Amino acid sequence: MTKFILSALVILLILSWYLSFSATRLDRLHHRVETSWEHLDAVLQRRAAIAIDIAHKSDLDPATYMLLVSSAYQAREASISDRSDAESSLSESLRLLQDDSESVSGTISPALSEELTAMTEKIKIAINIHLESVNAVRNLRTKLVFRIFRLAGHAPLPLRYKFEDDVL
Amino acid sequence: MKPLKIGMVCPYGWDTPGGVQIHIKELAEFLISLGHQVSVFAPVSDEGANTEPWLVSAGRPVSIPYNGAVARVLFGPVASSRVRQWISNGDFDLLHLHEPAIPSLSLLACWAADGPMVGTFHASSAKQKAIYAIGPILEPVLEKLTARIAVSEMARQTLKDHFETEAVVIPNGIATSKYVDETQRPEWKGNPTLGFIGRFDEPRKGLEVLLAALPAVAKIFPELRVLVAGPGDESSVVKKIEPSLRSKITFLGRLSDEEKAQFFQSIDIYVAPNTGGESFGIILTEAMASQTAIMASDIPAFSQLLNAGEFGALFANENSADLANQLILLLNDTERREALRRAGFEQSRKYDWATVAEQILDVYEMVLVGNDKVSLGSENRVWNRIRSND
Repeated sequence: MTKFILSALVILLILSWYLSFSATRLDRLHHRVETSWEHLDAVLQRRAAIAIDIAHKSDLDPATYMLLVSSAYQAREASISDRSDAESSLSESLRLLQDDSESVSGTISPALSEELTAMTEKIKIAINIHLESVNAVRNLRTKLVFRIFRLAGHAPLPLRYKFEDDVL
Repeated sequence: MKPLKIGMVCPYGWDTPGGVQIHIKELAEFLISLGHQVSVFAPVSDEGANTEPWLVSAGRPVSIPYNGAVARVLFGPVASSRVRQWISNGDFDLLHLHEPAIPSLSLLACWAADGPMVGTFHASSAKQKAIYAIGPILEPVLEKLTARIAVSEMARQTLKDHFETEAVVIPNGIATSKYVDETQRPEWKGNPTLGFIGRFDEPRKGLEVLLAALPAVAKIFPELRVLVAGPGDESSVVKKIEPSLRSKITFLGRLSDEEKAQFFQSIDIYVAPNTGGESFGIILTEAMASQTAIMASDIPAFSQLLNAGEFGALFANENSADLANQLILLLNDTERREALRRAGFEQSRKYDWATVAEQILDVYEMVLVGNDKVSLGSENRVWNRIRSND
Protein backbone atom coordinates (compact mmCIF):
# COMPACT_ATOMS: atom_id res chain seq x y z
CA MET A 1 0.00 0.00 0.00
CA THR A 2 2.75 2.43 0.97
CA LYS A 3 4.47 1.46 -2.25
CA PHE A 4 1.41 2.43 -4.21
CA ILE A 5 1.04 5.77 -2.45
CA LEU A 6 4.74 6.48 -2.89
CA SER A 7 4.74 5.77 -6.62
CA ALA A 8 1.57 7.80 -7.06
CA LEU A 9 3.26 10.67 -5.26
CA VAL A 10 6.34 10.42 -7.47
CA ILE A 11 4.21 10.41 -10.59
CA LEU A 12 2.28 13.40 -9.33
CA LEU A 13 5.52 15.20 -8.59
CA ILE A 14 6.91 14.52 -12.04
CA LEU A 15 3.66 15.58 -13.66
CA SER A 16 3.54 18.84 -11.75
CA TRP A 17 7.16 19.54 -12.58
CA TYR A 18 6.46 18.86 -16.24
CA LEU A 19 3.42 21.14 -16.24
CA SER A 20 5.32 23.95 -14.59
CA PHE A 21 8.18 23.45 -17.04
CA SER A 22 5.79 23.54 -20.00
CA ALA A 23 4.03 26.63 -18.69
CA THR A 24 7.37 28.42 -18.31
CA ARG A 25 8.29 27.38 -21.80
CA LEU A 26 5.08 28.76 -23.25
CA ASP A 27 5.32 31.91 -21.20
CA ARG A 28 8.80 32.54 -22.53
CA LEU A 29 7.59 32.08 -26.09
CA HIS A 30 4.68 34.46 -25.57
CA HIS A 31 7.14 36.98 -24.24
CA ARG A 32 9.26 36.49 -27.35
CA VAL A 33 6.30 37.15 -29.63
CA GLU A 34 5.55 40.37 -27.76
CA THR A 35 9.08 41.69 -28.06
CA SER A 36 9.55 40.63 -31.67
CA TRP A 37 6.28 42.32 -32.61
CA GLU A 38 7.27 45.42 -30.68
CA HIS A 39 10.44 45.61 -32.73
CA LEU A 40 8.77 44.88 -36.04
CA ASP A 41 6.19 47.55 -35.30
CA ALA A 42 8.95 50.04 -34.44
CA VAL A 43 10.93 49.49 -37.64
CA LEU A 44 7.77 49.67 -39.76
CA GLN A 45 6.86 52.96 -38.09
CA ARG A 46 10.32 54.26 -38.77
CA ARG A 47 9.98 53.31 -42.40
CA ALA A 48 6.71 55.20 -42.67
CA ALA A 49 8.45 58.21 -41.14
CA ILE A 50 11.23 57.96 -43.70
CA ALA A 51 8.65 57.72 -46.49
CA ILE A 52 7.00 60.94 -45.30
CA ASP A 53 10.41 62.55 -45.04
CA ILE A 54 11.18 61.52 -48.61
CA ALA A 55 7.86 62.93 -49.79
CA HIS A 56 8.54 66.29 -48.16
CA LYS A 57 12.18 66.68 -49.04
CA SER A 58 12.19 65.48 -52.65
CA ASP A 59 10.77 67.48 -55.54
CA LEU A 60 8.11 64.94 -56.49
CA ASP A 61 5.20 65.54 -58.78
CA PRO A 62 1.91 66.01 -56.89
CA ALA A 63 0.50 62.59 -57.79
CA THR A 64 3.51 60.68 -56.50
CA TYR A 65 3.64 62.92 -53.45
CA MET A 66 0.05 62.12 -52.66
CA LEU A 67 0.47 58.40 -53.24
CA LEU A 68 3.47 58.24 -50.97
CA VAL A 69 2.11 60.36 -48.16
CA SER A 70 -1.28 58.70 -48.10
CA SER A 71 0.14 55.18 -48.08
CA ALA A 72 2.59 56.17 -45.35
CA TYR A 73 -0.19 57.58 -43.17
CA GLN A 74 -2.36 54.56 -43.84
CA ALA A 75 0.45 52.27 -42.73
CA ARG A 76 0.93 54.30 -39.58
CA GLU A 77 -2.67 54.34 -38.58
CA ALA A 78 -3.83 50.93 -39.79
CA SER A 79 -5.57 48.69 -37.30
CA ILE A 80 -3.86 45.42 -36.60
CA SER A 81 -5.95 43.45 -39.09
CA ASP A 82 -5.27 45.88 -41.95
CA ARG A 83 -1.66 46.35 -41.06
CA SER A 84 -0.02 43.97 -43.50
CA ASP A 85 -2.07 45.25 -46.45
CA ALA A 86 -1.23 48.83 -45.58
CA GLU A 87 2.46 48.03 -45.25
CA SER A 88 2.44 46.17 -48.56
CA SER A 89 0.96 49.16 -50.37
CA LEU A 90 3.55 51.44 -48.81
CA SER A 91 6.27 49.08 -50.03
CA GLU A 92 4.78 49.21 -53.46
CA SER A 93 4.72 53.00 -53.57
CA LEU A 94 8.30 53.13 -52.37
CA ARG A 95 9.38 50.62 -54.95
CA LEU A 96 7.65 52.63 -57.66
CA LEU A 97 9.57 55.66 -56.54
CA GLN A 98 12.92 53.90 -56.52
CA ASP A 99 12.76 51.76 -59.63
CA ASP A 100 10.40 53.42 -62.02
CA SER A 101 12.07 56.65 -63.07
CA GLU A 102 9.96 56.87 -66.22
CA SER A 103 6.54 57.35 -64.72
CA VAL A 104 7.80 59.15 -61.66
CA SER A 105 9.68 62.40 -61.83
CA GLY A 106 11.79 63.94 -59.14
CA THR A 107 14.83 62.83 -57.22
CA ILE A 108 15.27 61.40 -53.76
CA SER A 109 18.23 62.62 -51.79
CA PRO A 110 20.87 59.90 -51.62
CA ALA A 111 21.01 60.08 -47.82
CA LEU A 112 17.31 59.31 -47.48
CA SER A 113 17.46 56.58 -50.07
CA GLU A 114 20.36 55.00 -48.19
CA GLU A 115 18.44 55.21 -44.96
CA LEU A 116 15.52 53.50 -46.62
CA THR A 117 17.67 50.63 -47.91
CA ALA A 118 19.15 50.09 -44.46
CA MET A 119 15.67 50.11 -42.95
CA THR A 120 14.46 47.58 -45.52
CA GLU A 121 17.23 45.20 -44.41
CA LYS A 122 16.15 45.61 -40.80
CA ILE A 123 12.51 44.99 -41.65
CA LYS A 124 13.39 41.78 -43.47
CA ILE A 125 15.19 40.45 -40.40
CA ALA A 126 12.41 41.65 -38.08
CA ILE A 127 9.71 39.90 -40.14
CA ASN A 128 11.67 36.67 -40.25
CA ILE A 129 12.22 36.66 -36.49
CA HIS A 130 8.66 37.63 -35.67
CA LEU A 131 7.14 34.98 -37.93
CA GLU A 132 9.42 32.40 -36.39
CA SER A 133 8.29 33.21 -32.86
CA VAL A 134 4.61 33.29 -33.84
CA ASN A 135 4.95 29.87 -35.46
CA ALA A 136 6.72 28.50 -32.41
CA VAL A 137 3.86 29.58 -30.12
CA ARG A 138 1.18 28.31 -32.45
CA ASN A 139 2.89 24.94 -32.89
CA LEU A 140 3.31 24.48 -29.17
CA ARG A 141 -0.25 25.45 -28.36
CA THR A 142 -1.68 22.77 -30.64
CA LYS A 143 -0.01 20.11 -28.51
CA LEU A 144 -2.29 18.05 -26.31
CA VAL A 145 -0.80 18.85 -22.90
CA PHE A 146 -1.10 22.54 -23.57
CA ARG A 147 -4.73 22.24 -24.61
CA ILE A 148 -5.89 19.89 -21.85
CA PHE A 149 -4.34 21.87 -19.03
CA ARG A 150 -5.03 25.24 -20.67
CA LEU A 151 -1.44 26.27 -20.09
CA ALA A 152 -1.85 29.31 -22.30
CA GLY A 153 -4.41 30.76 -19.89
CA HIS A 154 -6.18 33.73 -21.41
CA ALA A 155 -3.34 34.79 -23.68
CA PRO A 156 -4.70 35.33 -27.19
CA LEU A 157 -3.32 33.14 -29.95
CA PRO A 158 -0.78 35.29 -31.81
CA LEU A 159 -1.83 36.21 -35.33
CA ARG A 160 0.02 35.08 -38.37
CA TYR A 161 0.38 38.26 -40.35
CA LYS A 162 0.58 37.91 -44.04
CA PHE A 163 4.03 39.47 -43.97
CA GLU A 164 5.72 37.57 -46.71
CA ASP A 165 8.54 38.62 -48.94
CA ASP A 166 6.08 40.60 -51.01
CA VAL A 167 5.80 43.16 -48.24
CA LEU A 168 9.20 44.34 -49.34
CA MET B 1 23.82 52.04 -31.12
CA LYS B 2 24.97 52.17 -27.54
CA PRO B 3 27.98 50.00 -26.64
CA LEU B 4 26.88 46.49 -25.76
CA LYS B 5 28.25 43.84 -23.45
CA ILE B 6 28.20 40.71 -25.55
CA GLY B 7 28.91 37.20 -24.32
CA MET B 8 29.91 34.82 -27.08
CA VAL B 9 30.20 31.06 -26.69
CA CYS B 10 32.43 28.92 -28.87
CA PRO B 11 31.56 25.21 -28.81
CA TYR B 12 34.84 23.90 -30.20
CA GLY B 13 38.34 23.87 -28.72
CA TRP B 14 39.82 27.32 -29.25
CA ASP B 15 43.28 26.10 -30.22
CA THR B 16 42.06 23.59 -32.82
CA PRO B 17 41.90 25.28 -36.22
CA GLY B 18 38.40 25.52 -37.61
CA GLY B 19 35.98 27.79 -39.41
CA VAL B 20 33.74 28.43 -36.42
CA GLN B 21 36.65 29.49 -34.22
CA ILE B 22 37.99 31.88 -36.87
CA HIS B 23 34.51 33.30 -37.40
CA ILE B 24 34.11 34.00 -33.67
CA LYS B 25 37.58 35.48 -33.33
CA GLU B 26 37.16 37.87 -36.23
CA LEU B 27 33.62 38.83 -35.27
CA ALA B 28 34.73 39.51 -31.69
CA GLU B 29 37.65 41.64 -32.87
CA PHE B 30 35.44 43.57 -35.25
CA LEU B 31 32.77 44.24 -32.62
CA ILE B 32 35.45 45.39 -30.17
CA SER B 33 36.80 47.77 -32.79
CA LEU B 34 33.30 49.27 -32.99
CA GLY B 35 33.40 49.96 -29.26
CA HIS B 36 31.42 47.00 -27.92
CA GLN B 37 32.60 44.79 -25.08
CA VAL B 38 32.95 41.14 -25.97
CA SER B 39 33.76 38.14 -23.83
CA VAL B 40 34.34 34.84 -25.60
CA PHE B 41 33.83 31.66 -23.61
CA ALA B 42 35.51 28.61 -25.11
CA PRO B 43 37.24 25.35 -24.26
CA VAL B 44 41.01 25.93 -24.30
CA SER B 45 43.63 23.13 -24.19
CA ASP B 46 46.65 25.23 -23.40
CA GLU B 47 45.57 27.95 -21.03
CA GLY B 48 49.10 29.38 -20.77
CA ALA B 49 49.15 30.32 -24.43
CA ASN B 50 45.94 32.36 -24.12
CA THR B 51 46.82 35.69 -25.70
CA GLU B 52 43.46 37.29 -26.37
CA PRO B 53 42.39 39.38 -23.37
CA TRP B 54 38.71 38.82 -24.14
CA LEU B 55 38.95 35.02 -24.10
CA VAL B 56 37.66 33.15 -21.03
CA SER B 57 38.66 29.51 -20.76
CA ALA B 58 36.07 26.93 -19.83
CA GLY B 59 38.58 24.15 -19.35
CA ARG B 60 40.17 21.50 -21.57
CA PRO B 61 38.06 20.15 -24.42
CA VAL B 62 37.50 16.43 -24.92
CA SER B 63 37.35 14.70 -28.29
CA ILE B 64 34.07 13.10 -29.19
CA PRO B 65 32.98 11.51 -32.44
CA TYR B 66 30.22 13.64 -33.87
CA ASN B 67 28.60 13.67 -37.27
CA GLY B 68 31.35 11.63 -38.92
CA ALA B 69 34.21 13.72 -37.60
CA VAL B 70 35.99 14.21 -34.32
CA ALA B 71 34.79 17.29 -32.49
CA ARG B 72 36.75 18.79 -29.65
CA VAL B 73 34.09 20.08 -27.30
CA LEU B 74 33.38 20.38 -23.60
CA PHE B 75 30.37 19.60 -21.46
CA GLY B 76 29.50 17.95 -18.19
CA PRO B 77 28.76 19.18 -14.67
CA VAL B 78 32.01 21.12 -14.21
CA ALA B 79 31.61 22.91 -17.53
CA SER B 80 27.99 23.56 -16.65
CA SER B 81 28.85 25.31 -13.42
CA ARG B 82 31.57 27.33 -15.17
CA VAL B 83 29.03 28.46 -17.76
CA ARG B 84 26.71 29.62 -15.00
CA GLN B 85 29.55 31.43 -13.29
CA TRP B 86 30.60 33.14 -16.53
CA ILE B 87 27.04 34.27 -17.23
CA SER B 88 26.41 35.62 -13.75
CA ASN B 89 29.78 37.42 -13.62
CA GLY B 90 29.44 38.80 -17.12
CA ASP B 91 26.37 41.01 -16.71
CA PHE B 92 25.78 40.66 -20.45
CA ASP B 93 23.26 42.53 -22.57
CA LEU B 94 23.00 39.52 -24.84
CA LEU B 95 24.51 36.11 -25.49
CA HIS B 96 25.60 34.96 -28.93
CA LEU B 97 25.81 31.17 -29.01
CA HIS B 98 27.51 29.40 -31.89
CA GLU B 99 26.31 25.98 -33.02
CA PRO B 100 23.99 25.49 -30.04
CA ALA B 101 22.47 22.27 -31.38
CA ILE B 102 25.46 20.05 -30.65
CA PRO B 103 26.40 18.73 -27.21
CA SER B 104 28.67 21.56 -26.15
CA LEU B 105 29.18 24.70 -24.09
CA SER B 106 26.76 26.61 -26.30
CA LEU B 107 23.96 24.21 -25.48
CA LEU B 108 24.79 24.44 -21.77
CA ALA B 109 24.72 28.23 -21.96
CA CYS B 110 21.40 28.17 -23.77
CA TRP B 111 20.06 25.87 -21.09
CA ALA B 112 21.31 27.98 -18.20
CA ALA B 113 20.56 31.50 -19.39
CA ASP B 114 17.45 33.58 -19.77
CA GLY B 115 17.14 36.78 -21.73
CA PRO B 116 18.24 38.00 -25.17
CA MET B 117 20.07 35.22 -26.97
CA VAL B 118 21.18 34.84 -30.58
CA GLY B 119 22.20 31.47 -32.00
CA THR B 120 24.31 31.00 -35.12
CA PHE B 121 24.05 27.69 -36.95
CA HIS B 122 27.09 26.86 -39.04
CA ALA B 123 26.76 23.21 -39.97
CA SER B 124 24.70 21.63 -42.67
CA SER B 125 23.84 17.97 -42.90
CA ALA B 126 21.15 15.69 -44.18
CA LYS B 127 18.33 14.89 -41.78
CA GLN B 128 19.53 12.39 -39.22
CA LYS B 129 17.50 9.64 -37.61
CA ALA B 130 18.85 10.61 -34.20
CA ILE B 131 16.90 13.84 -34.36
CA TYR B 132 13.70 11.95 -33.54
CA ALA B 133 15.28 10.94 -30.27
CA ILE B 134 17.00 14.19 -29.31
CA GLY B 135 14.57 16.63 -30.92
CA PRO B 136 12.04 16.71 -28.06
CA ILE B 137 14.85 17.47 -25.62
CA LEU B 138 16.62 20.06 -27.75
CA GLU B 139 13.50 21.87 -28.92
CA PRO B 140 12.56 23.51 -25.59
CA VAL B 141 16.18 24.61 -25.20
CA LEU B 142 16.62 26.02 -28.69
CA GLU B 143 13.34 27.90 -28.58
CA LYS B 144 14.86 30.07 -25.86
CA LEU B 145 16.97 31.67 -28.58
CA THR B 146 15.46 35.02 -29.39
CA ALA B 147 16.82 34.94 -32.93
CA ARG B 148 18.54 32.40 -35.12
CA ILE B 149 21.16 33.02 -37.76
CA ALA B 150 22.21 30.50 -40.40
CA VAL B 151 25.47 31.10 -42.25
CA SER B 152 24.18 29.75 -45.54
CA GLU B 153 21.08 28.58 -47.32
CA MET B 154 22.26 24.98 -46.62
CA ALA B 155 22.55 25.63 -42.90
CA ARG B 156 19.11 27.23 -42.86
CA GLN B 157 17.62 24.20 -44.58
CA THR B 158 19.30 21.88 -42.09
CA LEU B 159 17.81 23.83 -39.21
CA LYS B 160 14.41 23.74 -40.85
CA ASP B 161 14.55 19.98 -41.43
CA HIS B 162 15.69 19.24 -37.91
CA PHE B 163 13.73 21.67 -35.76
CA GLU B 164 11.09 23.20 -38.01
CA THR B 165 12.36 26.64 -37.24
CA GLU B 166 13.28 29.56 -39.45
CA ALA B 167 16.55 31.47 -39.46
CA VAL B 168 17.93 34.66 -40.93
CA VAL B 169 20.72 33.95 -43.40
CA ILE B 170 23.80 36.04 -42.72
CA PRO B 171 26.97 34.78 -44.43
CA ASN B 172 30.33 34.23 -42.79
CA GLY B 173 32.56 37.27 -42.78
CA ILE B 174 36.15 37.75 -43.89
CA ALA B 175 38.56 40.65 -43.57
CA THR B 176 38.84 41.44 -47.27
CA SER B 177 41.61 43.96 -46.62
CA LYS B 178 43.92 41.07 -45.67
CA TYR B 179 43.87 39.79 -49.22
CA VAL B 180 44.69 42.89 -51.21
CA ASP B 181 48.44 42.40 -50.67
CA GLU B 182 49.89 41.87 -54.11
CA THR B 183 53.23 40.30 -53.26
CA GLN B 184 53.84 37.14 -55.24
CA ARG B 185 56.28 34.48 -54.14
CA PRO B 186 58.46 33.63 -57.17
CA GLU B 187 59.56 30.33 -55.63
CA TRP B 188 55.91 29.24 -55.71
CA LYS B 189 55.26 30.19 -59.33
CA GLY B 190 54.82 27.56 -62.00
CA ASN B 191 53.47 27.90 -65.49
CA PRO B 192 50.61 27.66 -64.72
CA THR B 193 50.09 27.22 -60.94
CA LEU B 194 47.14 25.58 -59.22
CA GLY B 195 46.40 25.91 -55.51
CA PHE B 196 44.62 23.85 -52.87
CA ILE B 197 44.09 24.62 -49.18
CA GLY B 198 42.66 22.27 -46.59
CA ARG B 199 43.26 19.32 -44.31
CA PHE B 200 44.33 17.29 -47.32
CA ASP B 201 44.26 13.85 -45.70
CA GLU B 202 40.53 14.22 -45.05
CA PRO B 203 38.75 12.51 -47.96
CA ARG B 204 35.88 15.03 -48.08
CA LYS B 205 38.33 17.83 -48.91
CA GLY B 206 38.78 16.03 -52.23
CA LEU B 207 42.53 16.30 -52.85
CA GLU B 208 42.39 12.85 -54.46
CA VAL B 209 39.95 14.13 -57.07
CA LEU B 210 42.45 16.83 -57.97
CA LEU B 211 45.41 14.41 -58.02
CA ALA B 212 43.54 12.08 -60.37
CA ALA B 213 42.90 14.98 -62.75
CA LEU B 214 46.53 16.08 -62.88
CA PRO B 215 48.02 13.63 -65.45
CA ALA B 216 45.65 14.90 -68.14
CA VAL B 217 46.33 18.54 -67.29
CA ALA B 218 50.09 17.98 -67.12
CA LYS B 219 50.07 16.53 -70.62
CA ILE B 220 49.00 19.90 -72.00
CA PHE B 221 50.82 22.04 -69.47
CA PRO B 222 54.14 20.30 -68.78
CA GLU B 223 55.35 23.12 -66.53
CA LEU B 224 52.31 22.82 -64.29
CA ARG B 225 52.77 23.29 -60.58
CA VAL B 226 50.39 22.45 -57.75
CA LEU B 227 50.64 24.02 -54.30
CA VAL B 228 48.98 22.10 -51.50
CA ALA B 229 48.61 24.05 -48.26
CA GLY B 230 47.14 22.95 -44.97
CA PRO B 231 47.86 20.48 -42.20
CA GLY B 232 48.01 16.74 -42.83
CA ASP B 233 50.24 13.74 -43.33
CA GLU B 234 52.20 14.25 -46.57
CA SER B 235 53.77 10.80 -46.85
CA SER B 236 50.44 9.00 -47.08
CA VAL B 237 49.37 11.25 -49.94
CA VAL B 238 52.70 11.23 -51.81
CA LYS B 239 52.51 7.44 -52.11
CA LYS B 240 49.33 7.72 -54.15
CA ILE B 241 50.77 10.22 -56.64
CA GLU B 242 52.21 9.04 -59.91
CA PRO B 243 56.02 9.25 -59.63
CA SER B 244 56.34 11.48 -62.70
CA LEU B 245 54.03 14.04 -61.13
CA ARG B 246 55.59 14.12 -57.67
CA SER B 247 58.01 16.90 -58.57
CA LYS B 248 55.13 19.14 -59.63
CA ILE B 249 53.42 19.07 -56.27
CA THR B 250 54.67 21.14 -53.36
CA PHE B 251 53.35 20.76 -49.83
CA LEU B 252 53.47 24.03 -47.95
CA GLY B 253 52.03 23.00 -44.58
CA ARG B 254 49.91 25.44 -42.66
CA LEU B 255 50.05 29.03 -43.91
CA SER B 256 50.00 32.20 -41.84
CA ASP B 257 47.49 34.86 -42.83
CA GLU B 258 50.19 36.78 -44.69
CA GLU B 259 51.40 33.67 -46.51
CA LYS B 260 47.85 32.83 -47.45
CA ALA B 261 47.40 36.19 -49.17
CA GLN B 262 50.66 35.65 -51.06
CA PHE B 263 49.60 32.10 -51.89
CA PHE B 264 46.47 33.39 -53.60
CA GLN B 265 48.48 36.00 -55.50
CA SER B 266 50.92 33.36 -56.75
CA ILE B 267 48.42 30.90 -58.19
CA ASP B 268 46.42 31.04 -61.41
CA ILE B 269 43.46 28.94 -60.33
CA TYR B 270 42.29 27.98 -56.86
CA VAL B 271 40.87 24.46 -56.96
CA ALA B 272 38.21 23.42 -54.41
CA PRO B 273 37.43 19.75 -55.11
CA ASN B 274 35.51 19.21 -51.83
CA THR B 275 33.16 16.26 -52.16
CA GLY B 276 30.57 17.35 -49.60
CA GLY B 277 29.97 18.24 -45.98
CA GLU B 278 30.62 21.93 -46.61
CA SER B 279 28.07 24.42 -45.38
CA PHE B 280 29.52 27.69 -46.61
CA GLY B 281 32.97 27.66 -48.20
CA ILE B 282 34.79 30.53 -46.51
CA ILE B 283 37.96 29.68 -48.41
CA LEU B 284 36.23 30.53 -51.68
CA THR B 285 35.31 34.00 -50.42
CA GLU B 286 38.96 34.49 -49.49
CA ALA B 287 40.06 33.46 -52.98
CA MET B 288 37.48 35.87 -54.40
CA ALA B 289 38.73 38.71 -52.21
CA SER B 290 42.28 38.15 -53.49
CA GLN B 291 41.09 38.22 -57.10
CA THR B 292 41.92 34.59 -57.79
CA ALA B 293 40.00 32.55 -60.33
CA ILE B 294 38.19 29.56 -58.78
CA MET B 295 37.45 26.04 -59.98
CA ALA B 296 35.11 24.33 -57.51
CA SER B 297 33.07 21.14 -57.31
CA ASP B 298 29.37 21.75 -57.86
CA ILE B 299 28.27 20.71 -54.36
CA PRO B 300 25.26 22.79 -53.17
CA ALA B 301 27.23 25.09 -50.87
CA PHE B 302 29.75 26.07 -53.56
CA SER B 303 27.21 26.29 -56.32
CA GLN B 304 25.21 28.67 -54.13
CA LEU B 305 28.20 30.77 -53.16
CA LEU B 306 29.46 31.05 -56.74
CA ASN B 307 25.94 31.62 -58.02
CA ALA B 308 26.04 28.61 -60.37
CA GLY B 309 29.28 29.67 -62.02
CA GLU B 310 29.02 33.44 -62.13
CA PHE B 311 31.81 34.09 -59.61
CA GLY B 312 33.88 30.98 -60.24
CA ALA B 313 33.90 27.94 -62.51
CA LEU B 314 32.29 24.65 -61.47
CA PHE B 315 32.95 21.01 -62.35
CA ALA B 316 30.92 17.86 -61.68
CA ASN B 317 31.55 16.72 -58.11
CA GLU B 318 33.96 13.75 -57.68
CA ASN B 319 34.51 13.63 -61.44
CA SER B 320 38.25 13.91 -62.11
CA ALA B 321 37.85 13.73 -65.86
CA ASP B 322 35.50 16.71 -65.84
CA LEU B 323 37.83 18.59 -63.51
CA ALA B 324 40.73 18.00 -65.90
CA ASN B 325 38.67 19.20 -68.88
CA GLN B 326 37.40 22.30 -67.11
CA LEU B 327 40.89 23.14 -65.85
CA ILE B 328 42.38 22.89 -69.33
CA LEU B 329 39.59 25.05 -70.77
CA LEU B 330 39.97 27.69 -68.08
CA LEU B 331 43.78 27.70 -68.23
CA ASN B 332 43.59 28.33 -71.98
CA ASP B 333 41.00 31.07 -71.67
CA THR B 334 42.72 34.09 -70.14
CA GLU B 335 39.77 36.32 -70.85
CA ARG B 336 37.30 34.16 -68.94
CA ARG B 337 39.72 33.86 -66.05
CA GLU B 338 40.00 37.63 -65.93
CA ALA B 339 36.21 37.98 -65.98
CA LEU B 340 35.79 35.47 -63.14
CA ARG B 341 38.44 37.23 -61.09
CA ARG B 342 36.71 40.57 -61.46
CA ALA B 343 33.20 39.23 -60.79
CA GLY B 344 34.43 37.30 -57.76
CA PHE B 345 36.21 40.32 -56.35
CA GLU B 346 33.10 42.49 -56.70
CA GLN B 347 31.03 39.81 -54.98
CA SER B 348 33.54 39.34 -52.14
CA ARG B 349 32.65 42.75 -50.70
CA LYS B 350 29.37 41.23 -49.59
CA TYR B 351 31.39 39.07 -47.23
CA ASP B 352 33.49 41.79 -45.69
CA TRP B 353 33.04 42.13 -41.94
CA ALA B 354 31.91 45.71 -42.40
CA THR B 355 28.81 44.41 -44.23
CA VAL B 356 28.32 41.17 -42.33
CA ALA B 357 28.75 42.62 -38.84
CA GLU B 358 26.26 45.35 -39.71
CA GLN B 359 23.66 42.65 -40.40
CA ILE B 360 24.53 40.82 -37.20
CA LEU B 361 24.16 44.08 -35.27
CA ASP B 362 20.70 44.50 -36.82
CA VAL B 363 19.78 41.16 -35.27
CA TYR B 364 21.30 42.22 -31.94
CA GLU B 365 19.26 45.40 -31.99
CA MET B 366 16.16 43.37 -32.62
CA VAL B 367 16.65 40.92 -29.75
CA LEU B 368 17.41 43.73 -27.32
CA VAL B 369 13.95 45.28 -27.60
CA GLY B 370 12.69 43.80 -24.34
CA ASN B 371 15.44 45.63 -22.49
CA ASP B 372 16.06 42.63 -20.27
CA LYS B 373 19.60 41.62 -19.49
CA VAL B 374 20.92 38.10 -19.61
CA SER B 375 20.35 36.29 -16.33
CA LEU B 376 20.59 32.79 -15.01
CA GLY B 377 17.37 30.97 -15.71
CA SER B 378 17.16 28.97 -12.51
CA GLU B 379 14.40 31.15 -11.17
CA ASN B 380 11.06 30.19 -12.61
CA ARG B 381 9.73 33.09 -14.66
CA VAL B 382 6.08 32.55 -13.89
CA TRP B 383 6.83 32.38 -10.21
CA ASN B 384 8.85 35.60 -10.42
CA ARG B 385 6.02 37.36 -12.11
CA ILE B 386 3.51 36.33 -9.46
CA ARG B 387 5.92 37.38 -6.76
CA SER B 388 6.60 40.75 -8.31
CA ASN B 389 2.88 41.38 -8.57
CA ASP B 390 2.49 41.15 -4.79
